[in-house]
Amino acid sequence: MDIRIENLTKAYGDFKAVDNMNLTVGDGQLVGLLGPSGCGKSTTLFMLAGLTEATTGRIFFGDKEVTKVAPEDRGIGLVFQNYALYPHMTVEDNIMFPLINRKVRKDAARQQAYEMAKLVQIENLLKRKPSELSGGQQQRVAIARALVKKPEVLLLDEPLSNLDAKLRVETREEIRRIQQEVGITTIFVTHDQEEAMSISDQIAVMKSGVVQQFDVPQSMYLNPCNRFVATFLGTPEINIIDVEVLGGTIKCGDVVLRTGVDVKNGTYKAGIRPESFTHRENDHKYSVNSVRMIGRDLLLHLDMAGRDVRAITHSGQSITTGDTVEFSVRESSIILFGSDDKVIGKF
Amino acid sequence: MEKKSMKGWLYLLPALIIITVFTLYPLIRAFSMSIMLDYDMIHNTFTGYGLENYQKVLSDKSFHKALGNTTIYAVVVVPCSIILSLLIAAMINGTKKTKGLFQTIYFLPYVTSVIAIGIVWSWIYNSRYGLLNSIISFFGFDPIEWLNKPKYALPALIIFAVWKSMAFNIMVFLAGLQTIPKEIYDAAKVDSTPRWRVFLRITVPGIAPMIVYSYIMGIISAFKVYNEVYSLYGGKAGPADSAITVVYYIWKKFYQSFKYGEAAAAAVILFFIILAFTMVQKLVRKFLSR
Repeated sequence: MDIRIENLTKAYGDFKAVDNMNLTVGDGQLVGLLGPSGCGKSTTLFMLAGLTEATTGRIFFGDKEVTKVAPEDRGIGLVFQNYALYPHMTVEDNIMFPLINRKVRKDAARQQAYEMAKLVQIENLLKRKPSELSGGQQQRVAIARALVKKPEVLLLDEPLSNLDAKLRVETREEIRRIQQEVGITTIFVTHDQEEAMSISDQIAVMKSGVVQQFDVPQSMYLNPCNRFVATFLGTPEINIIDVEVLGGTIKCGDVVLRTGVDVKNGTYKAGIRPESFTHRENDHKYSVNSVRMIGRDLLLHLDMAGRDVRAITHSGQSITTGDTVEFSVRESSIILFGSDDKVIGKF
Repeated sequence: MEKKSMKGWLYLLPALIIITVFTLYPLIRAFSMSIMLDYDMIHNTFTGYGLENYQKVLSDKSFHKALGNTTIYAVVVVPCSIILSLLIAAMINGTKKTKGLFQTIYFLPYVTSVIAIGIVWSWIYNSRYGLLNSIISFFGFDPIEWLNKPKYALPALIIFAVWKSMAFNIMVFLAGLQTIPKEIYDAAKVDSTPRWRVFLRITVPGIAPMIVYSYIMGIISAFKVYNEVYSLYGGKAGPADSAITVVYYIWKKFYQSFKYGEAAAAAVILFFIILAFTMVQKLVRKFLSR
């Protein structure tokens, strides 16, 4: 089932939590709503669920408009950030509950609950109470409960934020696997860009209630549409530096970064990802302010005409603070931003 | 080590003194008084020890009546009050803007003096000018002589007591309801749960500890009911003692008949009844929490 959001707005007094949002999600896609706290991503999700009423705009599931439809009639499965399992029921009763409410016969409901538990691999925990489960297991129960009524849309609110780092990576793969197996259109909310990029078919980056960019992860990372998206995606964060363009040459202070570009003369903000620095003999010499080992890579802080920039290089090299390194910036990886923070081009 | 425990005892001392003087000593005194024969409190004389006081009390028709009334009172008032309080608390909790207002209104009876409330209720029950009878006659029924006919005395007391005890219960339940996460109700909504099932499967289990607490406190205070009787009937126990309760019986034996030994014996019997109830409830609670 595809989802269409048209001019959706949610206002609380003068404050617009979601501002004139438009988005189309294809059937069977896994889409991440990504953004910082308070960007309106959860509000959007709850409007899709029907728990929050839209101020204006329309929501379509397939050809059917659901803007005014009650949550229970929308055919959605919803997974809450804190799972919201029914604490006094066993895992089995939790999963069966939506079916019992739909007057499914008890033995049939039990059978379906078992199948769903098997899908999320908790079939050995059916007789336990939620309080006896780990965070990851509770999460699986919540997903099973959301999926058991065979919804056409699955909505997940910050599904991984209550899990520890290792479990988070495992569980996100698990969510992807389950989503692929069931083939259900899924929207999930997250503030973790890595999480969004690793499992989503497409990502919608939001800021102040407005969708900044809606794209596949790779292209979002490589071709951000503005400074916010460029900054929000990627760790370590992209370097934003002041540059000057004069006669086709991009310079930062006295450091020549690129020549022969077709951009009007003037000062700009430029974004350079840390991994875009590459070693090249006889290029500009940067002095190393500090070195940090981050596993596979070394994170260097370099001095670029008095500014501190981050660069990543292989950890095999022996570079220490105070050294001088020769680096150039890879082709078409200097992103120039205009005065409105929109991207002018990549050079 | 010695010093440390000394310090600990020192901290406990104020509480221990108070408990000893006002709880432990009276308890022991009541026990000893209950086996003293022909005890005269003013001259502190008695003729010997024995169980005659218990015999007298246990064979006293008035005590049977008091025990019966108290039991009926406890068995009716406590569950009725809890069920009504639960429904009202759930309703108040559902309203957003008027929550604070209703919370205050329902809590008022708790902070108001029982005597003052008793006066208001004796007016409500008044057979000629009372509010209750004007409502009843509005619906075409004959007025009831609530406070004057023995057969209505206990029902009148029970209605009054249910109303009065609801204040505390509603307060406890509201506090309990606020501990149930909103998301669970949202989840239930998405799962298309009918309202009655939400109430029975989510709300009630969610505040089960508070219900058990209210129940135990309710039963204990029901067995000690006295204020309500005294204030509703202006110092009497209803027409022809028809609304007499165990504590009222004790009070009467002590202050009106000057039968100190019998009063103490009745008090000891009540003590064991409450003790037994509390133990049974502890067991039930243990069983339920498994």
